[in-house]
Amino acid sequence: MMFGAETFHVAMAEIVVGTMVLATVCAVGCASIRYIPVSEDRRESLMITMDKASIAGASMALFFMPIAILSGNLAADSVVGNALLYNKFVYSGLALGFWAAFVVGRIRMGPGIWEVRNLSLLQSVTAVIAFLMTTMASSIGGKLVRGESLFDVLPIWFPSDSAVVLPIWASAALLVIGLAALLVVFKVGPRAERISLD
Amino acid sequence: MSRALVLASVVALLMVSSSSVANPGGNGDSDRDYTCGGSCHGDPSMSLPSDGTISISQDGDVFAGHAVAVHVNVAGMSLSSNRLLGTFILGSIDGNSDHPEDHGWHVIQDPNGGSSNYVETVVPSTGSVTLTWVLLAPQETGVHNLFAQTHHGSEPNYEGIAYTGVSRGYSIDVMPVPEGLPGLSSDWTAPAYRTSGNDDPLEIGTVNTTSVSVQWMLEGEWSPHDAEVSSQCQDMEVCNTWEAQLPSTMGDTRIQYQITVLNGSFSMDLPWLTMGTGPAPFEGDIWDARVQSFAFAFLVLSFMVSLQVRLSPWDGKDELDQTQEVIDSEGEAPPPPPGMEEEPEAASEEYLARLVHSEENPGWLWDPVEEEWVADPNFQGGES
Repeated sequence: MMFGAETFHVAMAEIVVGTMVLATVCAVGCASIRYIPVSEDRRESLMITMDKASIAGASMALFFMPIAILSGNLAADSVVGNALLYNKFVYSGLALGFWAAFVVGRIRMGPGIWEVRNLSLLQSVTAVIAFLMTTMASSIGGKLVRGESLFDVLPIWFPSDSAVVLPIWASAALLVIGLAALLVVFKVGPRAERISLD
Repeated sequence: MSRALVLASVVALLMVSSSSVANPGGNGDSDRDYTCGGSCHGDPSMSLPSDGTISISQDGDVFAGHAVAVHVNVAGMSLSSNRLLGTFILGSIDGNSDHPEDHGWHVIQDPNGGSSNYVETVVPSTGSVTLTWVLLAPQETGVHNLFAQTHHGSEPNYEGIAYTGVSRGYSIDVMPVPEGLPGLSSDWTAPAYRTSGNDDPLEIGTVNTTSVSVQWMLEGEWSPHDAEVSSQCQDMEVCNTWEAQLPSTMGDTRIQYQITVLNGSFSMDLPWLTMGTGPAPFEGDIWDARVQSFAFAFLVLSFMVSLQVRLSPWDGKDELDQTQEVIDSEGEAPPPPPGMEEEPEAASEEYLARLVHSEENPGWLWDPVEEEWVADPNFQGGES
């Protein structure tokens, strides 16, 4: 039995949204657990559980997100006819960037990343922004298909009715700059070391 | 307590979703059969007859293949809070193949400017609305029936009943066309929208026409203006392709125009048509979006990773931290100058002094400098 690209895209998007909700809740929990008065044993146990859940959820979201984006491309039938659909692409790219940063940071620095206050705060803020970007991209899908989304009843709604369309040469230049920046960060710049839990 | 909170949250979310289902908001203008081919309005267990009245009328005589304005007046029905009314014009009421096009008619324009046989409209406070379809009559002469149907709700409507009303068949006598009678082409449909600022001429397809005049006015105006009309045929007496120069519109302006076709002694004033103003076409391309998306992804990733490295306590440790080399080169550290000796006990006392007791969390002390809870060393089973 065959099904269309739209159905496959919705399935992939639901997996991404579900796993990233888990990752975001656990990341915020990891960053804020030091302010919750619980015993040391319980705190450590909670921290280990939430850390593993957040990295597992984020990794899964990161794995499925390109599939969701590609299936969305197929569903769009290579035509971007309005600002909403254009912004769906842009928000998907932003979400991909933030989720990748979350996973890279956690893998490079290890679970000790939650023990350094600034890094812990940065990691949880990264997860929350990635969550908002992904939710926005998904909500635009709802707007396009059904004309409504959950964001309609929430006081949050990022700009999406109009789009800043860069000329292709400007986007290409930004892409080259982004790739160069990645090269510098991962190959030339100072390397981040795994943080010891001692 | 927490379980009750979770349960209440789930119930609240379910109630939000149930109050936002689509049908009370309508389903949009489209081509539909009688009762949408089987909607709640057609289900006897979920619907009731409408309490409104429906009447149909037409303008003038109807000739085969020529334009006619059909007016549907609906009045006196109860309505839901959004006052939305769905109205059909149909060639039959069988539940399938009911569209007027299935019975030889052609929709030039619906009351909302499109070309659908089902339209949704908000009924004014007077409780009465007249909707006009401009149709091309069937080529086959004789008596043809048209039906009108309405869908609406009511307020209050606790059981979610769907109301439906249907008119009797309205008979239209389609007469044979007098030889040479001018009219609109059967493959021409009035455009619903023109993009904002677009002043391209309006193309008009006709039959048996030697001359065309067009009058226009903005919606709300009373006195029409003459438009410049040009023929697209050269050295031909009968021409069926014309262009009318209507002024460009912006915002949500709607322009109305009336085409008059002439051929010798025949002069046919066709029904007034309406054209709305649509937004300018979106200029983005899918490759623009793809490249911009990946560019943002790479930029965000590189920025966030560099921020992580910057905030990391081990940033450049091996290259920048020369402490061990200094210690090795200097040998034993010199004694501190007089008056600068360390006071270990005082530091410990100062640390303990800044910790704050909390009655809500016995056994724990709040460190306002480090902003963390620490275990109370003096806590013994409930009393510190």
